[in-house]
Amino acid sequence: MSEAAIVQQAPKAATVRPLVWIAVGIGLVVLCAAPIGINAYWLRVLTTVLMYVIVTQGLNVIVGITGYHAFGNGVFFGIGAYACGAAMVAGMPFAAGLVLSVVVSAACAFMLGWPILRLKGHYFAIATVALNLAAIQIIIQIGGITGGAQGLALPLSEWDPKPLYIALYYLMLAGAVASTAVVAILLGRPLGFALRAIRDSERAAAVMGINTTKAKVYAWSISAGLTGFAGGVWAYWITFIEPSSAFDPAVGVKAYIMLIIGGMGSILGPVIGAFALEIVSTLVWSGFLHAHQLVLGVLIVVVCLVAPHGIIDAFARLAKSVRRHNGAA
Amino acid sequence: MLAQATVNGILLGGLYGLATVGFSMVWGVMGVINLAHTSFITLGAYVTYVLFTQFGVDPLLAMPVAMLAMFVLGYGIQLLILNRIIRTSLLLSLVVTFGIDLVLTDATVIAFTSDVRSVNASYASTSVAVFGTLVPLVRLIAAGLSLAIGIAFFVFLRRASLGQAILATALDREISNLMGINPQKVFALTAGAGAALAGAAGSLSSMLFPVSPTMGVSFLGAVFVITVLGGIGSVEGCIVAGFLYGLVQAWAAYWLGTNFQEIVAFAMFLGVLVVRPQGLFGRAFFGEHA
Repeated sequence: MSEAAIVQQAPKAATVRPLVWIAVGIGLVVLCAAPIGINAYWLRVLTTVLMYVIVTQGLNVIVGITGYHAFGNGVFFGIGAYACGAAMVAGMPFAAGLVLSVVVSAACAFMLGWPILRLKGHYFAIATVALNLAAIQIIIQIGGITGGAQGLALPLSEWDPKPLYIALYYLMLAGAVASTAVVAILLGRPLGFALRAIRDSERAAAVMGINTTKAKVYAWSISAGLTGFAGGVWAYWITFIEPSSAFDPAVGVKAYIMLIIGGMGSILGPVIGAFALEIVSTLVWSGFLHAHQLVLGVLIVVVCLVAPHGIIDAFARLAKSVRRHNGAA
Repeated sequence: MLAQATVNGILLGGLYGLATVGFSMVWGVMGVINLAHTSFITLGAYVTYVLFTQFGVDPLLAMPVAMLAMFVLGYGIQLLILNRIIRTSLLLSLVVTFGIDLVLTDATVIAFTSDVRSVNASYASTSVAVFGTLVPLVRLIAAGLSLAIGIAFFVFLRRASLGQAILATALDREISNLMGINPQKVFALTAGAGAALAGAAGSLSSMLFPVSPTMGVSFLGAVFVITVLGGIGSVEGCIVAGFLYGLVQAWAAYWLGTNFQEIVAFAMFLGVLVVRPQGLFGRAFFGEHA
């Protein structure tokens, strides 16, 4: 992983960077204009894609940058959804609910992080999965304002469906841009350097004077805050949430796969991964209604075999070998 | 009632232990968390179901066939897919096995539909008295055979040269390679054995539980908890932890109600992870360094 990161960063600088900026600019313009030209179905698909961009960027902070494989990070998606849902049922406006989504998710990660981030490698990965599964049971037991096993119906918006869905699309888009910006800014800050040092060698990072526990807890809180935001918007979009859908472990797992497809620890990797997987799986869904999971499973296995460091890295290697080949000839 | 709950919990715990041994071994030896493991349980149950309904084979006689079929499947998947993945990144194995699980589960649905089926052996409704409580015979058989298979696997690892090759690879991959052990083959063998044990567990559970494409997934929580509780890669730990898990589950249901079963299980899981991550019987296995 670290070797790939070095390979990626070295030759970029002068030639590639302007091209990347142009591509990002064009992509943003297209996404901003998209609601005008597409039907309700594709608006829904794109909103889902952008939601996954946020969740995957959140995952990128803890997995890609810090090297802690939070396989069950979907728990914060559920916490965000329930924070927003419960707040709105209690009479608060959507904006306040959304703020609570971020704050409550980040606070949960902050508190859970102190004991759980002591675990390493696989142990941390499965502890987060356990958290994700336990959250379902805890919500069912709490009942009350969370609705328990019966689920929670959010107050309906006074807006008409069409402008509402477009507004939610732009909200997800804003979240996706913001979460990508958070990752970009984080990478240039001291905390970002500390986290990457932890990823490459936690002991060495500690020796260099980094308070590793504190840095990890901060990273997970940022990750949870971003994921919680996506959950909050999702709850209002879906309007009815229940423990098994809000805390669906597949959310975290899917984001993890997107992160691998896009490339861990990079800024735009999660965006590319989310678009690639979600759009491909939507097409697979409509093309192979009865065997879509089978086809999706095969795709996942093939991608992992062919491009274990992500699409960007695979293309970079391919381009390099082509260039070398041409140079020799 | 308490005695009944206790006996039932212990008997079910034996089966949970068997369902976990393969998962724990695969994790311990090559550091792969095999999310497709529960699919092997499901497929083992379906092999038994097909043999029972189509050919009238007794479920207990169908079990070796299910084990053999799962061995071949596990061996093949490891050789063709996972051995390539292990060379790049261990955590990538989580994603790949998730993909394999999707394929196997969907293939099961396509082949057998999602209908719930059952395997009713002629002795399914017979009960026997154990310590003054009445226990269904099939549960007793399932627990007894689980324990026997678990012990047999333990002895295989300690006594047979193939078993010792597996243990040596788990302890030190590089040195065992220098000793002439081919890790690729050992990995495939371990994966095959792990799948075969899961197949046995599935075969036995087909007599106890309804057979459906999702029956394996219902074991997932138990498999994770027992693996960590027993110590990753420890066969004896798995068997003891299986009984312990069954017992705790039964008592939680008895005193707190069935709603609390899973909460108690997860609390136990997180508690063990934080306080004693190596588990009750855990030692330095490769999976711990990964």
